[in-house]
Amino acid sequence: MSTHALVQFKLARVPGVAFALITLCIVFALTSPGFATAINIANVLTQSTILLLLALPMTLIIMTEGLDLSIGAVLTFSSIVLAIVAISTGSAVLGLFAALAVGLCFGTLNGVLVARLDIPPFITTLGTLGIAQGLSLVVTDGQSVVGIPRSIETIYSGTVVGIPLPIILAALAYALTHALLYQTRFGTYVFALGGNREALRVAGISMRGMLIRVYAFGGLMAGFAALLMTARLNSAHPTAGIGMEFDAIAAIAVGGTSFERGNGWLFGTLLGVITVGVLRNGLNLLAVPSSAQVACVGALVIVALFIDGLRGEQ
Amino acid sequence: MTNSPLFELRGISKEFPGVKALDNVSFEIKAGEVHMLVGENGAGKSTLMKVLCGAYRADQGAFFHNGAQVAIDGPADARKFGIAVIFQEFTLVPYLDIAQNIFLGREFKSRVSGLIDRRRIHAEAKRALDMIGLHIDPRTPVHKLGVAQQQMVEIAKALSQEARILVMDEPTAALSDRETDLLFAMIKRLKRKGVAIIYISHRLSEVLALGDRITVLRDGRKIASLLPAETSPDQLVMLMVGRPVDATYTRPSRPTPGEVVLEVKDLSGPGRFSDVNLTVCAGEIVGLCGLVGSGRTEVARAIFGADRVSAGEIRLNGKRIGASAEDSVRRGIALIPENRKAQGLAVARSVGDNIVLVGLRKLFPSGIFVPRRAMKAARAVIDKLRIATPSPRRPVATLSGGNQQKVVIGKWLNADAKFYIFDEPTRGIDVGAKAEIFRLLDGLVHNGAGILMISSEQIEIVRICDRAYVMRSGRIAGELKHHELTEANIVRLGIHQ
Repeated sequence: MSTHALVQFKLARVPGVAFALITLCIVFALTSPGFATAINIANVLTQSTILLLLALPMTLIIMTEGLDLSIGAVLTFSSIVLAIVAISTGSAVLGLFAALAVGLCFGTLNGVLVARLDIPPFITTLGTLGIAQGLSLVVTDGQSVVGIPRSIETIYSGTVVGIPLPIILAALAYALTHALLYQTRFGTYVFALGGNREALRVAGISMRGMLIRVYAFGGLMAGFAALLMTARLNSAHPTAGIGMEFDAIAAIAVGGTSFERGNGWLFGTLLGVITVGVLRNGLNLLAVPSSAQVACVGALVIVALFIDGLRGEQ
Repeated sequence: MTNSPLFELRGISKEFPGVKALDNVSFEIKAGEVHMLVGENGAGKSTLMKVLCGAYRADQGAFFHNGAQVAIDGPADARKFGIAVIFQEFTLVPYLDIAQNIFLGREFKSRVSGLIDRRRIHAEAKRALDMIGLHIDPRTPVHKLGVAQQQMVEIAKALSQEARILVMDEPTAALSDRETDLLFAMIKRLKRKGVAIIYISHRLSEVLALGDRITVLRDGRKIASLLPAETSPDQLVMLMVGRPVDATYTRPSRPTPGEVVLEVKDLSGPGRFSDVNLTVCAGEIVGLCGLVGSGRTEVARAIFGADRVSAGEIRLNGKRIGASAEDSVRRGIALIPENRKAQGLAVARSVGDNIVLVGLRKLFPSGIFVPRRAMKAARAVIDKLRIATPSPRRPVATLSGGNQQKVVIGKWLNADAKFYIFDEPTRGIDVGAKAEIFRLLDGLVHNGAGILMISSEQIEIVRICDRAYVMRSGRIAGELKHHELTEANIVRLGIHQ
């Protein structure tokens, strides 16, 4: 094998998302002096945690050939419930439990509608997106909920042995989801739900029960992400989570999870989330308005998948 | 082999609205026996097997396991008696590995509560694979396996569930000759271990070579149960179709070939085939044979313009083609692909929609779709090819395999194709329909078309084709004309020396 062929062979094993991430890092490091600093890198990772909490379960949902558009709106509503409960009871813990309960309810509702009533995931979660977003606006009358206990805010700003707390929480969530997908029966059946449902039926496994759990997990994680979001804003805002489903799906697509046959890659999602985070951070440093950033994330998805497609052809 | 049956079905009847699918059929299987089940499509083979594995409930009849009467009310009952079906459509999950697939739904629990013991799953899977003689790492994801290996994983999966009776429905349909040999070796191995095998096949040669017993079904009734030694292919065909049919379709005399329609010169596709030279004349059927993987299908796809080539040229009536599939279609090349359902048909759409699909440009030059004109064009093709459908509006999925194949051919008829590529035109089609497909091919060449036909069944090539090219490892190993065109020569050229 010639050196050239060897290089090609090895490059073919590097996923497109790694190319995208490295390229973006190099470009931003060259164009904005503030990018390649320890503080900024910690900042990018911390800001990516909320997106990661949504993208992890979404990867599983997409692996079942499903989709959850409601995840951003559920996060918003959970955050509002968290703030209201925490303010009225004075207990951050009760607030968190309320947020988890709201997320779990919405997730389970999505799962039941998809699995039991056979409503397509796109339609189901578009509906629950509307419900969650509408409830958020009704409950708050469109205003931010402020005055939450101080202890909540420290969850986002606090550190443990120098590492920001959100990063530790997100790492735990990643480890949990990784174990769930690769080390449990449930995870094995997630692969089968997207890959070959007949295989599950023949094995005598309740497809519907599994599907409901996948969506319920998504809702639960959205409820947990609401804690970080509320802590970050030090308030709950009825439009805080708008568009987060877009970033999550984009990160998963960039990460190389295909939307067919149960072909998913959880580590790719992690890289995809960081890639989207780096892109948004770099554009912020270059003073690109957030509206234009959405377009850039869209372009990133297309470029990353184009690169993957080119390499798949070889 | 013991003499008492391991499992027995007695007097099974099953009725569907309007059809008596099974009529008082009895069937038995002994340990260590390969019992062949043959019959035309629609004879009741699949229904009988679905009754056996509990997917259907019989209206009448009784089941006996080791001589004791038992009930089969669902798949769980069948599993209890060790009955397992190796499905044609595999029940494997592509992005799980072999071991996870074998133990899907039966994962070993780890000592850590909630987790699975992957190491034990892999170890047990390795044992299951060793048992059937498949030496491959159980950590390989299934989507990386070929069809034959996937089938073997299915078999390992069934055996690991203590299956004692395996039902195989056309297991060789998608296999090359070498893979078929491997499968047969494995079946013989299983026989020695006392596994009973019910084997459904359309290929009479393997029925006679592999079977210990043969049962023939026709129109839902059991026609005969015989030993391979006391029968012949001709007799089996007669029993299957119920009338003496010339199964050995003989090639009618054909007009002397006209001008060269297709000329392929020094064609190479990177890593797939190289230096391929071949010609097809008007009024000629030319075979392209070789083992699966020898590059036959790849060459056909390149000629059609579906894949890019790295060198060489393709000429249709002297003009260079091969730039793209769209271009090829416009110039009159038709490809009837190997996998009808995935590549040739919009299965959920109607027969009529499928037929007019390719000819849309010609039928409606203005771009406006006129339903009445489309329907008329579809009816003409349906009549011409004698496609058995009550209406052009019927979904293609409701048709039999043979009629579906006719629809694929019909859609090209409408596009005025001058050169046809048939990739395995008779796969999964019953004996009667095969002869009709061959007559259709004849009709096409009589009207001056040229045909390149790929088939794994050498006997078909010998009977249908005027000439044949044999491929081996991506190259043309030789050309066989006239009296040289024999099964023995095809095999000789196709295998590695």
